[in-house]
Amino acid sequence: MARALGQSFWRDLGDLLGAVRRAMGVTLLNFIRKPVTVHYPEEKRVYPDRFRGLLALTYDKETGEENCIGCRLCEYICPPQVIKVEMLKAEKRNFAKTFTLELYACEFCELCVQVCPTDAIIMMKSFDLATSDRRELLLDKDRLHTIGLQFDPSWATGNGLRDMQTPPKAAPAEHAKADAPAKTEGKAE
Amino acid sequence: MLSAIYFFVVGFIVLNAIIGMVTYVTLLERKFAARMQSRIGPYRVGPHGLLQPIADALKLMMKEDVVPRTADRAVYNLAPIVFLLPCMLIFATLPFAPGLGVADLNIGILFFLAVSAMEIVGLFMGGWGSNNKYALLSVMRAVNQIISYDLPFVFVALVPVLLTGSLKLSDIAAAQPDLLHWFIFYPVLGQLAFLAYIVTTLAAENRVPFDILEAESELIAGFRVEYSGMKFALIQLGEYAHVIGTSFLGALLFLGAWGGPGPAWLGPLWFLLKAMFVFLLVTWIRWSFVRIRVDQILAISWKLLLPFSLLLLMATAVVVAW
Amino acid sequence: MDLESRKVLEMGYGGAERLTMNMGPQHPSSHGVFRAILTLEGETVVAVDAVIGYLHRCHEKLGESLTYTQYPSIASKTDYVAAMTSELAYVRAAEIIGKIDVPKRAQYLRVVAAELQRIASHCLWLGTWCLDMGGALGGGATVFLYCIREREDVLDLFEALTGARLLYGLHQVGGVRYDIPSEWAKKCRATMDKIDGRISEFEEMLESNAFFLARTVGIGVASRELAQEVGISGPLLRGSGVNYDIRRAEPYSSYEDFDFKVPVEDAGDCFARYRVRMVEFRESIKIVRQALDGLPAGPISSRPGVKSVGQVRIPKGEAYARVEGARGEVGCYLIADGSAKPYRMKWRGASFSNLALLPHIIPGHKVADVVAIMGSVDPVFGEVDR
Repeated sequence: MARALGQSFWRDLGDLLGAVRRAMGVTLLNFIRKPVTVHYPEEKRVYPDRFRGLLALTYDKETGEENCIGCRLCEYICPPQVIKVEMLKAEKRNFAKTFTLELYACEFCELCVQVCPTDAIIMMKSFDLATSDRRELLLDKDRLHTIGLQFDPSWATGNGLRDMQTPPKAAPAEHAKADAPAKTEGKAE
Repeated sequence: MLSAIYFFVVGFIVLNAIIGMVTYVTLLERKFAARMQSRIGPYRVGPHGLLQPIADALKLMMKEDVVPRTADRAVYNLAPIVFLLPCMLIFATLPFAPGLGVADLNIGILFFLAVSAMEIVGLFMGGWGSNNKYALLSVMRAVNQIISYDLPFVFVALVPVLLTGSLKLSDIAAAQPDLLHWFIFYPVLGQLAFLAYIVTTLAAENRVPFDILEAESELIAGFRVEYSGMKFALIQLGEYAHVIGTSFLGALLFLGAWGGPGPAWLGPLWFLLKAMFVFLLVTWIRWSFVRIRVDQILAISWKLLLPFSLLLLMATAVVVAW
Repeated sequence: MDLESRKVLEMGYGGAERLTMNMGPQHPSSHGVFRAILTLEGETVVAVDAVIGYLHRCHEKLGESLTYTQYPSIASKTDYVAAMTSELAYVRAAEIIGKIDVPKRAQYLRVVAAELQRIASHCLWLGTWCLDMGGALGGGATVFLYCIREREDVLDLFEALTGARLLYGLHQVGGVRYDIPSEWAKKCRATMDKIDGRISEFEEMLESNAFFLARTVGIGVASRELAQEVGISGPLLRGSGVNYDIRRAEPYSSYEDFDFKVPVEDAGDCFARYRVRMVEFRESIKIVRQALDGLPAGPISSRPGVKSVGQVRIPKGEAYARVEGARGEVGCYLIADGSAKPYRMKWRGASFSNLALLPHIIPGHKVADVVAIMGSVDPVFGEVDR
């Protein structure tokens, strides 16, 4: 309909009336549909398992010790360099003397979670940490441990992510299609 | 003397009622529009957002009144008032029930149409006084548009006048005593006139799809761009008052004003409901269409609506003469 | 712009006074931060000067200081509306130089991600375009909210896959980082069916709408010769009659396995570009369904999971990898020098080249058409300014 309006009386009238009927019909249809609003904070949306939320440090499940060995791999891989770690050497294993994470500059890219060899740093399924003072978002080690105990952890851990990505050694021809004898996680549905 | 006091009191009541209604009509529009967009409108301020207009009004009253340094002060400051006055004045002629109205003039509808067209002066003053290219551009377009659409507006509003035979608004309302006699149900002419009335109302009040005056995405806020605080509130008030005024007029001309089942004192309530129906119809159109360009708007007016409304008027004249 | 080229673009109206108006970086419809200095005669635009650079964030320098493991998460930020395709360009360039094979499953997952991203990006395009044309308080806002509602469903899918809604970090050199969780394919198919139905609603609301047609038909016509000369790509090029789609011309990431149509329209105006993108919606849905049906089992990366920042080293070489992003050809030119960081990285932003079309097609139209044309060109300033 490459026609400018205002050229032919009856056709214009017909076109406009038809347009009105259809567009208003769609709007009316949506009027009747249920609104999609989620009344946060009374209702919360269901967050998926892999949700990348706040960062936290964890304790070992059996011994209750801190998982972090102060290896600084997360510090080196962080793209905006928000993590700063100092290692504390001890007899059996090392610890992190200080561990600061500047949450206000964090990109939530999950790379630190991916590289951690002991699954010490993980992400939570929540992002509820709004404050009115930016200094409260400079998380130190105690704060990170508290967050780890306060919220639900998300699925991703260092070893979990690396296992998902690493190709199994038993299948050199990994470009083959579905008949390849590869055994990995995550099958097609 | 007594009649003067009577008119003053009634006028005062009507004016306050209008202002109260204007603020709550904004809430009605927002909730209605929200439902059409799969969301809920204002919800937090007061139960289901009922106190939202009050919060808005308080906010606007407390805002700093920023006046641009290079603005033409007298024109800039007077513009909201000159814009608001005609929009309030149109309510003077509306009869809300038989015998209940501020001034039921013999030339009621003529007064209504003439005064409602005077808001252009206020608009232009606002656009010029702001000393802002966006504002100037928008009022140039708006003046064009309102002038072009006032003619079809008058012609279409004259159709019920012809069918009644009187310019007095209460006579027009009285000529529609029950449902079957509403002018909207008048064969062919009534429906066409109502349709054209809705379209010209949209244009005369700068509602989408004819809202090049505001054109929020092109010209930010059109002529309102330099106004803040209470002056902005006055402009909003005037705009919505005009919308409601023409909704009431539409209800009166086509939907039988205060007629409805029940006792006579329910008349004003029915009038209000019908006006809200017209208002919601206009709102429904507003939230369904994209805006069209100014030359296309003028093309629709001069090439489509004006011949259409003239033909309609002549047809009505022929029908009435028979 | 120098005086000579300005004269070329200004149309010769005589006598009338000209007004210079700034559609400045802070504007509801400049799609980001874009400054257009319009020269007006009455309501007609006579010349356009474009000023960009308000969103420059030194991506190319960042590319030199971040390693191949760190940068893909940052690459999303160039075209933040269609993040998957930006990441894909970078990792493909690294894989071409390093001759790294990508497993078939990872290729199919990349296709699924790219096509879902195309759907989400076009949803946003349609919404913001109608918002510009129809006003933030009016029908435009209605279409905008419907489109965002559909886009939210696609973003929910991405959230279930990667954990993030807008900037994903899904790709890595050698494959992808995340595999699909259980039940994801079922949810994806359901979402695709739903969006298919909703797109029909949008088309019904807009296409037979005389107002919409009056705003878009015949506006911003870019002829075939002009399109090829200026160097635009993507839906703009296909809307001007040139049948060029990188997914067909140089298939990457197993696109040759899929059966889809490349829409081409001849008119070259805003409506033609709209039609191209609406057909692309449905073709993307088709591709996603085919990819999910044929998803092979296998690893999702040919390299072990990233354990340290300098793990990926690309030998010396250079390559230019291009992908068909939602806006056009997104390209990444990498010069690798054997270490863990590139020596030089250059982005070819699709919107940057597409914006070069504006000074040619805007003059002669009214102010109201400027927003319609800019919306149909669909720039994202993360790509323009990088």
